[in-house]
Amino acid sequence: MNLYLLSPEISLTAFAILVILLDLVIKRKGILVYVSILGLITSAVFAATLWGGEATTFGGMLVVDGFSIFFKFLFIGVAIMVVLASVDYVSRIKRFQGEYLALILLSAVGMMLMASTGELVSIYISLELTGISLYVLTGFLKDPKSSEAGLKYLLLGAVASAVLLYGMAMVFGLTGTTHLGDIATAVSSGALGSPALLMGIVLLVAGFGFKIACVPFQMWVPDVYEGAPTPITAYLSVASKAAGFAVILRVFYTAFGPVSLDWGMIFAVLGAITMTLGNIVAIPQTNIKRMLGYSSIAQAGYLMMGLAAVSSLGQSGLLFFLVSYAFTNLGAFIAIIAISNKVDSDMIADYRGMARHAPLLSLALALCLISLTGIPPTAGFMAKVYIFNAAMQYGLLWLVVIAVINTVISAYYYLRVVKVMFLEAPASQERVPSSGALRFALCIACIGVLVIGVIPSYFLRIAEVVVRALGS
Amino acid sequence: MIGLEHFLILSAILFSIGIYGVLVKRNAIAILMSIEIMLNAVNIAMVAFSRYLALLTGQVFAIFIITVAAAEAAVGLAIVVAIYRSRRTVDVGEVDLMKW
Amino acid sequence: MFPEAAGWAIFLVPVLSFAIISLITRPFFNSRPRISAYITIASISSSLILSLWALVSVIQAPGHAILLEPHDWVTIGSTTIQVGIAIDSLTAVMLIVITVVSLMVQIYSQGYMHGDGGYHRYFAFMSLFTGSMLGLVLASNLVMLYVFWELVGLCSYLLIGFWFHRPEAARAAVKAFLVTRIGDFGFLAAIIFLYAKTGTFDIAELYVVAPALLSATALTWAAIGIFSGAVGKSAQFPLHTWLPDAMEGPTPVSALIHAATMVAAGVYLVARTFPLFAQSPQAMTTVAIIGGFTAIFAASMGLVMTDIKRVLAYSTISQLGYMMLGLGAGSVAFAIFHLANHAFFKSLLFLGAGSVNHATGTFDMREMGGLKKYMPWTYAAFLIASLSIAGIWPLAGFWSKDGILLHAWGSTPVLFYLAMITVFMTAFYMFRVVFLTFGGSYRGGSEARSAHALHESPKVMLIPMVILAILSITSGWLPISGFLGGESMGFFEVLSHPMPWVSLILAGLGILLAYAMYSAKWLSPEAVGRRFQALYRVLWNKYWFDELYERVFIFSVLVDGLFLVLQWFDTYIVDGLVNGVAGATIAAGGILRRLQTGQLQVYGLAIFIGVLAIAACLFIFAP
Repeated sequence: MNLYLLSPEISLTAFAILVILLDLVIKRKGILVYVSILGLITSAVFAATLWGGEATTFGGMLVVDGFSIFFKFLFIGVAIMVVLASVDYVSRIKRFQGEYLALILLSAVGMMLMASTGELVSIYISLELTGISLYVLTGFLKDPKSSEAGLKYLLLGAVASAVLLYGMAMVFGLTGTTHLGDIATAVSSGALGSPALLMGIVLLVAGFGFKIACVPFQMWVPDVYEGAPTPITAYLSVASKAAGFAVILRVFYTAFGPVSLDWGMIFAVLGAITMTLGNIVAIPQTNIKRMLGYSSIAQAGYLMMGLAAVSSLGQSGLLFFLVSYAFTNLGAFIAIIAISNKVDSDMIADYRGMARHAPLLSLALALCLISLTGIPPTAGFMAKVYIFNAAMQYGLLWLVVIAVINTVISAYYYLRVVKVMFLEAPASQERVPSSGALRFALCIACIGVLVIGVIPSYFLRIAEVVVRALGS
Repeated sequence: MIGLEHFLILSAILFSIGIYGVLVKRNAIAILMSIEIMLNAVNIAMVAFSRYLALLTGQVFAIFIITVAAAEAAVGLAIVVAIYRSRRTVDVGEVDLMKW
Repeated sequence: MFPEAAGWAIFLVPVLSFAIISLITRPFFNSRPRISAYITIASISSSLILSLWALVSVIQAPGHAILLEPHDWVTIGSTTIQVGIAIDSLTAVMLIVITVVSLMVQIYSQGYMHGDGGYHRYFAFMSLFTGSMLGLVLASNLVMLYVFWELVGLCSYLLIGFWFHRPEAARAAVKAFLVTRIGDFGFLAAIIFLYAKTGTFDIAELYVVAPALLSATALTWAAIGIFSGAVGKSAQFPLHTWLPDAMEGPTPVSALIHAATMVAAGVYLVARTFPLFAQSPQAMTTVAIIGGFTAIFAASMGLVMTDIKRVLAYSTISQLGYMMLGLGAGSVAFAIFHLANHAFFKSLLFLGAGSVNHATGTFDMREMGGLKKYMPWTYAAFLIASLSIAGIWPLAGFWSKDGILLHAWGSTPVLFYLAMITVFMTAFYMFRVVFLTFGGSYRGGSEARSAHALHESPKVMLIPMVILAILSITSGWLPISGFLGGESMGFFEVLSHPMPWVSLILAGLGILLAYAMYSAKWLSPEAVGRRFQALYRVLWNKYWFDELYERVFIFSVLVDGLFLVLQWFDTYIVDGLVNGVAGATIAAGGILRRLQTGQLQVYGLAIFIGVLAIAACLFIFAP
């Protein structure tokens, strides 16, 4: 039992506890943010030392390979950005600042575990560790909208995990094991094609589909995104979704690789429906957070193309898309946080003429929206090109056609915000101030969007290397 | 002789009752209880498989589910309290500030 | 030997400076704006040193070119896009011009922008612009070139709208962006067309394969497409309207971007792809006609403007027309020679105008006058630049302008005569500016600043102007045209030909007329204006092109048209009408969102129905 393999998670948990304890004793709460970031960086350093090796411990429950470390870095990076983006929020809420930060760290621990488990029990536990932390964070503000979002997220999340557990019970009962590798062996030797196994897989798809917001398990997304504190919305839309995809990749490629059933086709059809529904319903939205909620459903649809194309090209395309999406969506949300701090509204109409009194902020938001649309020279464009190419190579021409049509539809609502900001007369001439932390985070996000858009090959190579751990 | 099927059927029935409760009960606490029933249905299936496959894994899984469910219920009740404080109701039908 | 890394560093160092300023100095050293200026100046100085190294290496290299292998950038399916840099004599000259002018402008900006709230932002954008412009001339393939082409356009947009709180500035920025975009569509189409036909983006390779693979007509269209990009960027007729408005930006920006470098990128582009143009007589003629016409057309509008920067803007358009004329007449060497000379004297003119504005607070020449006494250094520099642009021997402008005239005479005599008239006009409007601004007595300034408040600009602004003044005299003596593969003329030998004398006499007449009207007052400008009232009105209203474009084209067709489509969507949501596919999409959105009832039990129901539906589909369709 090599505890060092668990060092990123252990150190981060320790820091989460430290943050809560410090909150009790210190007066200057601003320090807590730095402690949290220090914790995340420490964890990243530990994760970096594990890079390159492949090992399992705790009887195969913990798998440390390139794939899991890739996701650990992704989650840590996202968490750092979310903490930076929360600085203004944290200073606004009087009590429980320590808890807020600690919960972000703990949910990051959960996500990191989700990406590195090879066993159903630990998948469930890490899923719930993430989920419960996020339920609390969603309802953190205690205003009517925030609590409503928390309640909806919690109840539906609990239902989804019950469904997932039922599926796990069926898989366990049919294969006699909870280890993904052993499930694969059992599946290929015996239970192949049994209707019960099929049902079990469908239940797993439903449970994980809730996390990644795939139709028809996406209905919580708009409400929860609208009601949650905006940094948490960003966190949900990026990290929680990425964690869901990490688990799906791990489970389906490791355990159900040999199933004759073409689960790629399930994801292809669901992906097509998801992107179409997300884009169409995003059009009439008037609240930008809600619009980005629907947008994130649509993006989940594009991401599912990577699952539908059952190949290493699809896997690496999916990972690359996740990284691009992380930078882009975080950037968009951070810009929204900065703007709404000032105008105190999330309505798109209140963004009129924003370019006049907050030019850099508007430009950053425009860049992120352009990237979400998929226009060069941004990360979103490259990500789409790769994932469309993967689907094309796998023979899913119809899916690519639908995706391209969807991209065109999506341009309407993304660029409408750009138009409102740049071409309409401003409501006021006030400058929009933003804190240094927020500006720094926004800069990082925008640089990420541009760098990936301009020199994608480095990131793509990493994605190609790490998916080798999964096999195909 | 009571076999594996009996337990599984019991589990399926309980799970369905849970689903029914989630979908029709208006009281948020009743919904939480219904979810609890669904989780316990899973526990029964897990333990039954564990017994008949002679594997401990299922029972361990069930214990974890019980633990996690307790945590979930705690958070759930806290949120319900917060909702009750702000709107004086726990009827989920009236919790629809955000829609469309 | 010139290492490849040094070539990359030439344009990456200023980009790095942009990153440092926006990431570190702006957020953390906001109260110490000077740091940003120093970082910018240091980075551009290092680019200048590297550029000089590159120049020396190119001079020594066989064939005046440093060949470097391109690198793979991205592979999408079967298409591999490469990146790479190439340094030949054309690039080397451009590198020197850009880095020198940029460095001077940055030094000058320290004084001009002193105390401005956006000091960090200004230098960040200036760094990014310089880096992009250097990247543009270093790029060895069309994709990379296009990327930088758009980046300099973006920087131009950002810097025109630098004082974004002024509505005119914001409007001018949008206008510049939209108008140049029209040309860029043609350029992009040409790149894609060439790739589709030849399978390569590499410029050097295109020289070889394009004439072999493309029919004459196809080649002409490709060249015209590239030229349309150049027309937009270099503000040639009919896409010239954005440049005068772009003067809303800070004056050093006008000097660097809208006089010396970015607007000359169009000329550079045609020069860079000249082997393609050379294959198509029609394309060459088009370039020559557009260039020659723009030269006289823009100069005519410069005759009547009262805003000093606008006169200079029209003068820039006119001079760029000269360069295009030179290219169309087949002489890359003299076009680029003129580009280099023009960069020095025109940026100097702008810096001089900025210096005048610094003292008087206005750009309106009617409120200036008599500044010779108060600002002798600025006056001297401005006068040198004016003589240079008028083409007076032996100043820089003379050498390149006469080379172009000589070639125009050889190819299209009609354009030669137009160009000769333009020489006269150029001398007239420049000296009109000189006499109105520096001659006579002081007429008040903007906020009626009293004469004793006038002062010479600080040294940090004067020194770059002096350096540029020296270059405005001497840069014509450098063997640039010979280096670029053209002929070069002897210092006195040139005066033994009749042609230079004709142009010198015309320029002299222009100066004389300006003297007669604005200094000696032998002729009253008002009387002349009344005499030619109709013509005056046409010129004053810039041939009504702005009105034509703004009312009809940009704002009716482009902006409104683009958003009319979007508005149309909006209307359909509001009215609930369903018509056509687009309307159906919106309506579908309107209906589907109703599924999102806000009732969490409905959401739960969706989960279970979803599970059942997926399972049912699987059992039905799965084998």
